Amino acid sequence: LFQGDLGPFNPGLPVEVPVWLAINLKQRQKCRLIPPEWMDVAKLEEIRDQERKEDTFTPMPSPYYMELTKLLLNYASDNIPKADEIRTLVKDTWDTRIAKLRLSADSFVKQQEAHAKLDNLTLMEINTIGTFLTQALDHMYKLRSNLQPSESARSQDF
Amino acid sequence: SFLQGSKLEIPLWLAKGLHDSKRRIISMELPKIYREAWRTVFSADANVVDLHKMGPYYYSFGSQLLNFENPENPEIAQTILQTFISRFRRIMDSSQNAYNEDTSALVARLDELERALFRAGQKGLNDFQCWEKGQASQITASSLVQNYGKRKFTDMDG
Repeated sequence: LFQGDLGPFNPGLPVEVPVWLAINLKQRQKCRLIPPEWMDVAKLEEIRDQERKEDTFTPMPSPYYMELTKLLLNYASDNIPKADEIRTLVKDTWDTRIAKLRLSADSFVKQQEAHAKLDNLTLMEINTIGTFLTQALDHMYKLRSNLQPSESARSQDF
Repeated sequence: SFLQGSKLEIPLWLAKGLHDSKRRIISMELPKIYREAWRTVFSADANVVDLHKMGPYYYSFGSQLLNFENPENPEIAQTILQTFISRFRRIMDSSQNAYNEDTSALVARLDELERALFRAGQKGLNDFQCWEKGQASQITASSLVQNYGKRKFTDMDG
């Protein structure tokens, strides 16, 4: 178990707490949540547009942007202005990023690269494609070693 | 017993066992899908080939074939690798539902290795969708214990 102190809690004054506590207090109707400053239509439009324009991945305002969006929109949408628009913007950005990730994976495979570096991905995105990609690369590695005429490379067990 | 020069169909494992580059007990005729005519089809467009019908273990069987000395081995190895690379994109996109199309026609044409990869891609997608719907935080009974009979308290010792 871990422990620590939070607060002080003064009526009417905002205080920073861990997300789990914020959600818990909100569910018990003991507080109002203040969304993060990036959870705003103008800011998210900017991010979405940049994501669509660039070939590389936009640095996201939070490594947990998907998780936070889901939690806050689920439990505190009344505290978030234009919640529906926010939901759509985040989903659009996600879709663009995932499409980009697939494009990167395909060119990685086509060029038979040994290494790739993709900056600014979040864990959520990596996990969605991770198993598939690592398995595919594993197969490709074995097929590539078939090209070597050495004895040890040729007898592959599948 | 067999006459020298007779031609037989034998399982791969037996052919491997009989194979000896020095004593030349047997020589192997390549299955047609690995031969030049088919290799040309693959390099034109590997996506159209029904690898399930032609295989269904195109990649692993093909890799095993390379154990037998055959002057065409480098070309065979290259074709198998390139086939994998060119089919990769469609497997990835359809398993991750990029086009929202019916995927059964595509899956029917995949060999077993590709089908396993397809399932991995689907799982990544399903896990994400499950999380999105909030099912990831629902506690469910482990499948291991679901079939245990419920024991009455009075049945226990005492």
